[in-house]
Amino acid sequence: MNLTKFWAAQLDDYVIDLEWSRDGSLLAAASGSGPIEAYNAKDGAKRLSVSGHANGTNTLRFSPDSLVLASGGQDGCVKFWDPLAGQHTSTASIGNDWIEHIGFRPTLGSNTSLAASCGKKLSILKTDGSVLKQLPDAAKTISALAWDPEGGCLAAAHFGGVKLWDSDDWIVQKELTYANGINTLAWSPNSRWLVSGNADPSVHLWIPSEDAELHMSGYEGKVKHLSFDITSRWLATSGGRDACLWDCSGAGPEGREPNMLPHDAPVCALAFQNSHGILATGSLDGTLELWSPERKNPLRATVKMPAAATKIAWSWDDRYLAVGSTQGIIYVLKCEA
Amino acid sequence: MAEGPIPVTVLTGFLGAGKTTLLNRILTEQHGLKLAVIENEFGEVGVDNQLVISSDEELFEMNNGCICCSVRGDLIRILGRLLKRKDRLDGILIETTGLANPAPVAQTFFTDDEIRTAFRLDAIVTVVDAKHVSTHLDAGDESVKQIGFADVIVLNKTDLVTAEELTKLKSRIHSINAVAKIHTTNNCAIPIKDVLNVGGFNLSRATELDPAFLEPEYPFEWAGAYALPQGNHDFVIGHVDHDHDHHDCGHDHHHEHDRNENELDVVILPLDNLNETDIHAARDLALKVFSDWEKKVVESENLALGATLNRLELKDGNGRFKIEIKTPGFYVVFEQCSEVPLHIQVCGENVKPGWQNDYHPAHSHNEDVTSVGIHEIGELDGKKLNAWISELLRVKGNDIYRMKGVISVKGSTKRLVFQGVHMLFDAKFDREWGSDKRMNTLVFIGKNLDRAALNASFKSCLA
Repeated sequence: MNLTKFWAAQLDDYVIDLEWSRDGSLLAAASGSGPIEAYNAKDGAKRLSVSGHANGTNTLRFSPDSLVLASGGQDGCVKFWDPLAGQHTSTASIGNDWIEHIGFRPTLGSNTSLAASCGKKLSILKTDGSVLKQLPDAAKTISALAWDPEGGCLAAAHFGGVKLWDSDDWIVQKELTYANGINTLAWSPNSRWLVSGNADPSVHLWIPSEDAELHMSGYEGKVKHLSFDITSRWLATSGGRDACLWDCSGAGPEGREPNMLPHDAPVCALAFQNSHGILATGSLDGTLELWSPERKNPLRATVKMPAAATKIAWSWDDRYLAVGSTQGIIYVLKCEA
Repeated sequence: MAEGPIPVTVLTGFLGAGKTTLLNRILTEQHGLKLAVIENEFGEVGVDNQLVISSDEELFEMNNGCICCSVRGDLIRILGRLLKRKDRLDGILIETTGLANPAPVAQTFFTDDEIRTAFRLDAIVTVVDAKHVSTHLDAGDESVKQIGFADVIVLNKTDLVTAEELTKLKSRIHSINAVAKIHTTNNCAIPIKDVLNVGGFNLSRATELDPAFLEPEYPFEWAGAYALPQGNHDFVIGHVDHDHDHHDCGHDHHHEHDRNENELDVVILPLDNLNETDIHAARDLALKVFSDWEKKVVESENLALGATLNRLELKDGNGRFKIEIKTPGFYVVFEQCSEVPLHIQVCGENVKPGWQNDYHPAHSHNEDVTSVGIHEIGELDGKKLNAWISELLRVKGNDIYRMKGVISVKGSTKRLVFQGVHMLFDAKFDREWGSDKRMNTLVFIGKNLDRAALNASFKSCLA
């Protein structure tokens, strides 16, 4: 397996988030200090370059139709951008707290909406910046958001648990309790599993449809990164010097030994391909590794980068891997078998 | 990647004490440091080019097995975000609200392993308003805690009080927190080095404790050593008409005594030599004897010499007793209360003590929050020590604000240093004892601490 440099771009500071557009045409990235840029996927030409948010940008997302880019920042605002025209289109000013978590409802159609949390507040916005629905405040600051793959349910985590909101009538479907800090949430692609990566440190798995839950502990450090493969069998997690791979087939990982994919430094980013089986993992020493979990020798490729990865994202066709770094560089790598 | 953890300074103090003044001073000084400020009261700091972030004091109750504590969720989030920068920060200042409990702030740095790795809690700096703090202390509010937790106390607005009031206030603060460095200021004018990078939570600096503080408190307030000839002598308590050469003048602690004024406890021990070693041995013996059953002595009776606690019965604060000296030599008298005149008369003439000393009175203050020091020569049994500290933290953890110490553990050539906040603590072996005398030095600052019980239970850990 071969990873070659395709193009690179430089932001002024730490790459805090990056994402490919669903149609494959653009890659957008945000710097922790504020600036947001979007590039042509094929050559890295800049399409959008804006100052982003005062005091820093925290997150960005493309709409499912790729027409809108949304960003959240430390100014308490969600901003909407037209990435192709390179323009700001609207702003929703939500509160005094940081906007750290946003997510578009993953359904195509006329009802494009974005969930955004600001402290304890949870708002559902339209792309013109207006508020579609303001939900009651959470008990604590919302620490993660995740739409289920069909878009029917929005999971919102806070210290103490996860609320599952029905995204048609905005009624709470379920309240899942977890008595510690939750750093991140992920749904399996088949919507069966909802997983939290926790501060205590552990991974907690729920099967909301069956009211079942599992708990996997023994991590070295906080679990802040989760990624499922397309088959919903493999769950990759950070939380130490090894990326840890749980087999979620059948009754789930309880009682099974995880596959450990070793790094020499703590794993700080990971992502499964969108429709194929390769997992990319990055560690704090700047190492990037590709794995095929079902192979006997799973390691497929190793690349050493000058700075640690902050975020890894596969293009929607799985041919390109975008890697953001602590030093503000965005590398786009071509992945060939 | 980063070159070691980023130092964090926590600023506490009541509203109006001068926290913001201090903060602005730190930020405007030309120190060349890239600092970030996390503050509760947004918008008070008005310095350009500084990273100012507001926080909302969100508490997370952590419960891991037997240890419960609250941590600051907002700080975990903000500090985590501050790491997401290309250039490393040189320091972080956290300004808490006037009413904030410093414990969750400190505990955050103990419990969150990511924060622990990336940051180092340097010190808790408490700004105190010299004019108004007494009112707060009398009310027993959060200001007591803020003083108890501090590594550095900036006693500000000293121009608003008299020199005498300031001295009293300093001693009151010292009785609450005997290990914090107290700086007196106007307008918070203080060199930055006294506030930043002071190493209050540095384990290896745990030993840099003020030795004066480590003087334990004694059940007696005065001791004097006399050279006495053989024979029967008078032991006179109270004012004798013709002279006043005794130690009663010039004492400035007019403390409240629970003592019945017609009783006085006295211990008299023979002394081989008038040197420090012998005097200390006598003092330690007297400490034990003072907790024994007393022997009542009435007017004109003989006092017992040696390890016996004499309780003299007085009339209107006066009394005449006898001592019979069989072996001439030095005798040291330990007296419960230094304000009561005490004389030994040989053939009607007062004998002047060849050595005398005042001791910290054990009841000189009424604060709920105090510092207790333990100073003990010898080696400890590791297992007993472990059991002792676990039990202590289980029972008293909520009342112990801070603790620091250096311990000599049997079987290890290195010093065991530790420090903690409530039930959480860090311990490690640091350097070799080498030629230093192996001893145990511990300090606890907290509420309702029982000095005698702490000392006694600690001693049971000796190997």
